[in-house]
Amino acid sequence: MIRAGWVLAAWIAGCSGRGTPEVAGDLTGVRLPVPLPRPEFRLTTIAGEPFDFRTRTQGRLTLLFYGYTRCPDVCPATMANLGAVIGRLSAAEREAVDVVFVTTDPDRDTPVVVGPWLANFEPGIIGLVGTAADLKTAQVAAGIAVAIRGPETANYTVSHAAQVLVYSPDDSAHIAYPFGTRQAEWAADLPKLLDRWKGSVR
Amino acid sequence: MTWWCSASGVPWEWGWRPYPGVWLFLGLLALVFYRFGRSDGRSARYFGLGLFILWTALDYPLGALGGYLAAAHTGQFMLIALAAPPLLLLGLRPRLAAWGAQASPEAVGRLRFLAHPVTGFLCYNLIMLVTHVPSVVDGLMPSQFGSFAIDLLWLIGGGLLFWPSVAPPPFLRMPPLGQVAYLFVQTIPAILPAAFLVFSTYPLYSLYELAPRVTTALTPHYDHQVAGLMMKVVGDPIVWVTMAVIFFTSANQERRDDLAAMTKATNRPAS
Repeated sequence: MIRAGWVLAAWIAGCSGRGTPEVAGDLTGVRLPVPLPRPEFRLTTIAGEPFDFRTRTQGRLTLLFYGYTRCPDVCPATMANLGAVIGRLSAAEREAVDVVFVTTDPDRDTPVVVGPWLANFEPGIIGLVGTAADLKTAQVAAGIAVAIRGPETANYTVSHAAQVLVYSPDDSAHIAYPFGTRQAEWAADLPKLLDRWKGSVR
Repeated sequence: MTWWCSASGVPWEWGWRPYPGVWLFLGLLALVFYRFGRSDGRSARYFGLGLFILWTALDYPLGALGGYLAAAHTGQFMLIALAAPPLLLLGLRPRLAAWGAQASPEAVGRLRFLAHPVTGFLCYNLIMLVTHVPSVVDGLMPSQFGSFAIDLLWLIGGGLLFWPSVAPPPFLRMPPLGQVAYLFVQTIPAILPAAFLVFSTYPLYSLYELAPRVTTALTPHYDHQVAGLMMKVVGDPIVWVTMAVIFFTSANQERRDDLAAMTKATNRPAS
């Protein structure tokens, strides 16, 4: 909860316009006030296999995003931008990066729904689903605000954290990318992030 | 209140919505024609078709989609700047010709200046290029006034583009073949924004890159590429139609003149 508070505070400061968000060196992303440890949670992949996030991504550059497939704005734009840039990385660079999408809409986002949706953007993106309780645990563990389901309608929306957390091979997130990060910015930053951790990527 | 289509950033939904500013604007144009341009049925048909094209470009759905997709924005550009202006000018042509016959030399001189090919070329291309600069589009399109300004600039730019070819005799400065050549040259500078849209590695406009998606099938990058292709593949043929109309109208007129001359010569009594 304390970690979540830190991230939230950093986000409020970043979005309120009261000051320029602290840029992480020559990167576009926002430096987190306190590095967040790689979270520990277990969910299920779209292939139906169990996925232990910490174990499976340990020591790797990991981009973690929480969203849902019926999201009308933030999620498709974020995934389209990430997918476009990931798809242009060299084979070696692509091999060194994990992009993980965790749903925040357990009722509608089944593996059958999430799989084809992610394939629209980039086939290699790891999609994770789970029960409402498991997904809440995954969000709390990552230190982000837990998603809130909107008013009950046929096409309800889900309010969720919009940033992409970037975990480095030291198993901490030092930087996050808010919604609005452009493809050109991702394309400039990802090789730098990989270069910074060259040799230590598992 | 939403009076003009802009990039609102709210999720896209298929469902009609009113844009009273568009209706008012078109109504004002119709009023201008009714008060000053009415002359014959043919002119009214030209003007009416021009207004109809403007309406399809500015109102729902294309006008609204122009805030979400670069391709739709380009579609609007082609209709507003390339398709509607020659028809609107043709509709006003007889009245302008009548007005030109009695207007002051200064007023005629000003419109003749605008009918110069260099003036038309510079004015239209300046407007076309500036309104496609990413910072201008990203800066203006989110507001209704900004979006209205872009649409108005396109319409004015289109008028300036076609004026040297469609202007009535008191103002016209070029022969028909010169007009055709002028219009052909006008299609060349659009290669610049079209090439940037098609060949850039990443989307140029943050507005369309980050806009709520209308469909996940059309990624921001493809959307930009489609927009760039449309500028040339669809935009140029629209200008070619005007070129063809000028060419064939002129050829027909020449044939009629020759026939009339021949008839006159044949009917002359032998001496």
